[in-house]
Formats: sequence, structure tokens, C-alpha cells
Amino acid sequence: MNLSRIIILARRVAQQLVADKRTLALIIVVPVILLTVAGVLIRVEPSGLTIAVVNQDEGLALGGQSVNLGDRLTENLQNFDLFDTKLMTTDDAKRQIENGDLDAVITLPPDFSAEVAQSRQLNLNVQFEGSNPTVAERLRNAFEQVGDQALAGLATLQAGNESDGNPSTAAIETNLQATYLNGGPEFDTLDYTASALIGVFVFLFVFILTSISFLRERLAGTLERLQATPIQPLEIIIGYMLGFLIFGLLQGVVTLLYTVFVLNIHYHGNLLNVFVIESLLVVVSVNLGIFLSTFARNEFQVLQFIPLVVVTQVFLGGVLWPIEEMPGWLQPIAYMMPLTHANTALRAIMMTGESLGGVWVQIVALVAIGVAVIGLSARTAGRVRM
Amino acid sequence: MTNPEHEPVKIEGVYKKFGNVEALRGLSLTIRRGEIFGVLGPNGAGKSTLIRSIVGLIKPDQGRVVVLGEAMPNKPILSRLGYMTQASALYDDLTVRQNVAFFAGLMGCKEDAKIQTALELVELAHRADSPIRILSGGMRQRVSLASVMAHQPEIILLDEPTVGVDPQLRAQFWAHFRRLTEQGITIIVSSHVMDEAERCDRLGFIRGGQLLAEGSADALRQQAGKSNLEDAFLWFAQQKGAVQ
Repeated sequence: MNLSRIIILARRVAQQLVADKRTLALIIVVPVILLTVAGVLIRVEPSGLTIAVVNQDEGLALGGQSVNLGDRLTENLQNFDLFDTKLMTTDDAKRQIENGDLDAVITLPPDFSAEVAQSRQLNLNVQFEGSNPTVAERLRNAFEQVGDQALAGLATLQAGNESDGNPSTAAIETNLQATYLNGGPEFDTLDYTASALIGVFVFLFVFILTSISFLRERLAGTLERLQATPIQPLEIIIGYMLGFLIFGLLQGVVTLLYTVFVLNIHYHGNLLNVFVIESLLVVVSVNLGIFLSTFARNEFQVLQFIPLVVVTQVFLGGVLWPIEEMPGWLQPIAYMMPLTHANTALRAIMMTGESLGGVWVQIVALVAIGVAVIGLSARTAGRVRM
Repeated sequence: MTNPEHEPVKIEGVYKKFGNVEALRGLSLTIRRGEIFGVLGPNGAGKSTLIRSIVGLIKPDQGRVVVLGEAMPNKPILSRLGYMTQASALYDDLTVRQNVAFFAGLMGCKEDAKIQTALELVELAHRADSPIRILSGGMRQRVSLASVMAHQPEIILLDEPTVGVDPQLRAQFWAHFRRLTEQGITIIVSSHVMDEAERCDRLGFIRGGQLLAEGSADALRQQAGKSNLEDAFLWFAQQKGAVQ
């Protein structure tokens, strides 16, 4: 192992990227554009939504106080910004939702308050217009939130009524508190997605650059010339890793600053910890790029590896869908993917300020995957032709 | 027997098979210090395989290649060689100087003066900071040559260096080669163009992975009793065929 040769190779990789100003700019601009689009789409509020409430609730007398949960709920719905809330009769509501003028109808029966008090459960009878699943999903979440608010209010009203022997109502309140403690309204989907996307971008960019540059080395004959010099395959690989690491981390800083200060995602992490995870990702990505470029004879073929390697990892790596919700047979595959562990670690570091010790499982997994792919790429980096 | 001082390259009964194709069939050859040795033969004769086995890119199935007293493949010895591939293998985005400095650096040469000297020798010092992608084919070949000799190797191997090079530049190249041998550098050059062979000190005729004959152009012509090298080559090829 010769450090001087490694540095010469790393410097050349860096010089090539610096000389290619357009690629260098795209490395920074593309993630910013994609993050912005993701940010807008994830945070967009559907507009022009209208719901109807058919409130027939007769209320309930509790401990000398009259409680009408239906009224409370209606009031909370009216205060909600996402949609307009109209009060109407069953018939009007039926007609208007069939005309497509309403997105949902909530019916509160006469015994609504009594039923909640007795069953300790808030069962909302909602009819969604339903032609747009995204709207229905948003409304559903909003209604759950409003229901929780109404219940919380009810529990406060009953605070002085412990002697009444109503521990179950208190239990509902505790449940609600717990829901809010787990992130709740202050974290949104973008926090969850953006932290993972930062890892995805570094992986994607280093993978594309390495696989194409290494393919070019092979096609242009420079790899053959490298092999006619004293440089060893492992030195070539390490040189490539160092060369791309600088730009991978540069991209990491820019995307991180952009997501934190422009997209305003919640960030509690330590930049150095983020860098450690990103560096491990670069190691895996460079070596995967070198290894897979061996199986491509031209740029078209190597480009086909991008969906295979990157998109499958975005799908299976827990970026968009939690791994726990995947079918059992897919989960082991998901855990073999480096992005799965990087995403988990980056989320923990960025959203909850986890230390490196807190994500040691993911670090061990990434190191193990890294060693395996270095083994693969070291075997193929020495080959001029397949 | 082998004196690396006087015989920097010795090829001893080298046999190499790729799949079903026998690229080299028991080829033996000795190259002397400070000469320009021309490896001549038609396409597919085994010229590139021979050159690549001298550089250690190919490990012979049988026989051995000894370069500067060491059996190849041998990584450390490579820093004393310079190998110019058929196509000019350079990094398009990098400048002339960056390319030359990169390959020289891997050979252990980091002196800017030596890189400058190499650029001057191929008359490209004034284009040192141009990126390769804007250069003509002939200029690229010159950069390629500069990048294999900047570290002052003892042996330079050139695989068809003048393919696609115009006559004027070709003459320049041979002038460079001659100047290098005057410094005691050994040059091994492959070609399938017979008129280039006249410029070599000694020649090896190769066909079907075997050495047909070796010697100076004059000696080969005389031995074959022909007035030009092309006829001489055909004569030797016929003789070999008759023997088999």
C-alpha cells in the first residue's frame, strides 16, 4: 500500500470533477430542486375542501354540568383551517355530497355524547366523497385530530369529578397525551422523508459518478495504463473513495443546510455524525459502482444499473414506506441494503439528535456491507476486460 | 546467462491461449539495450499480446518473460517501464500537464522539471494547460508519448504508436524515439506498416503467435533474397509454413 499513489489517484478523480463544471453544479442543484419539489408536495394543503356536520347530539348531564360533545366537536371542526365546515340536515347533506359539493359528511347521532361516555370510545360516523384518496386521507387525519381535541376538552371538564368513578375517561386522556408525545403535530412527513433523502442523494450521485468514470477508464484504455504502473487495485479503490468523498460531503453540507434553513425541517443532529454516516455510504457506493461497472460494456448499460441499485433501495430502504409494513419475505432483503441502515441512522441523528453510539447497529451494518463490496470491487478493479 | 544490463527484455518460450485462440505459441526473443526493436506482423499476429506480456498485463501459460532481471508480472519493475497503448489512453477533462503529471506521479516521478522536459520533447509545452478533449488526434498521441516517458523509463513499449498519425508527425515521432535511444533507453515498437520497419535497429517478424525471423532490415532482406521487407516477410512466412 502506497499512500502517495493513493493521493495522486484521489487528486486526479477530484481534478476531473472540478474540470467538469456542469456535473459539479448538477451535484448541488439537482438535490436542491428535488428536495424543493418533495417539500412542496409533502406540505401542500388541499384547498377548497368543504365538509358538512349533521349534529343531532342531545348532550349529556354529568355531575350537574351539561356536556354536549357534538357541539364541542362541531366548534373544533369550524376552527380547523383545512376545510370549510357547514351545519346542515341529513337530507341536505345527502343531496350535496351526491352532487359532489361536499368532500365529507359527519353525522353525530342524538346519543353521541352518551355513547362516548358509556363506551369510552369516540366513534365518528363519516362518509367521504372519496373520489380523491389523498383528500380523504387528509380529512381522516384531520378528523382524528379534532376528535382528540374534543375528548381532551371533555376530560378537562371532568377533572374535578374523579369521585364519580370514571377512571376510563381519564384513561382516554392518558392515551391522547401519549399520542402527542410521540412526535405528534410538530413533526411532519417532510422531516421523515428529507432526512432519508439526504442519504439517498449522496448514494445516488457517488454511484452514478463512480460507475461511469470507472467504465470510461476501461473503455478509454486508461485502466490498462494504470495496470502498467505500480498502483495496486486496492490503491485505485481507496483513491476513488477519497476523491469522491470530498464532493459527497460537500453535497451533504449543502443539502443539509438547504433542508434545515430553507425547507425548515426539524434538525437536532450533530453535523459530524451525519458526515460519519454519509462517509460510510460513499464507501459502499464507490465500491458498488466499480463492481457493477465491470458488467457493463457501454454507458447505456451502466445507466440501467441506476434504477436497479438506487430505485430499489429507495423503495425498500424505508425512504417512503416503513420497513415494518413490508411483507415478511421482503424485510430481509430490505435489511441487506445499505440505504436502509443509512436512512434509519440519519433519521435518528437528525430528528432526535441521536449520538453515534445510539446508531451503532446501523454503523456496524454499513461497515459490514462496505467490507463486502470492497472485496467485490477489489477483485474486479484489476480486470481490464470482462 | 541473462544480463539485465545488456539484455533488458528476455522472452523465453512464451505460450498464451485465450479461450480457443492461441495468441502466442512458444515465442522466444531477446532485446538489447538501447536499440529500437520493431515487432512486425499482420493484425492478429500476437503483437499486442507480446507487448502486454512484457508489461505484465498478461501472465504466460508457459515460458517466462524477464524484464530488467525480474520475471513478469512484477509491479515494482513497472516504474522503470513506459507503456503506450494503441489508442491514446488519456483523461479528456484533464489538461495536458495534469495527464502527464498523473501518470508520471504513479511511476514515482513528481518533479515538475521532468514533466516540462517531456512536454518540450513532444513540442506541446505551449498547450500544457489545454484540456485533452480540444486537442487533435495527433496531439493526443504526443501527449500519450510524453506521459509514458516523463518518468525517464529504461524501456518504452509502444503498441502501434503511429496508427492514424499523419506522415509529418510520424517522422517527428521517430525522431523522438531516436533521441531517446541515444540516452540509453530501449524502445520496443509494434507495427504492421513495413516502411516503418526501416527505421528500427532490429526487427522481429511475427505471425500466428510465432517468431518467423529476427535481425536488422538489411539482414532479413538478404536472408530472404528479396529487395523489399514485405516480400521478405512473405518469404519467411512461406518457409515457416513449409517447415510445419
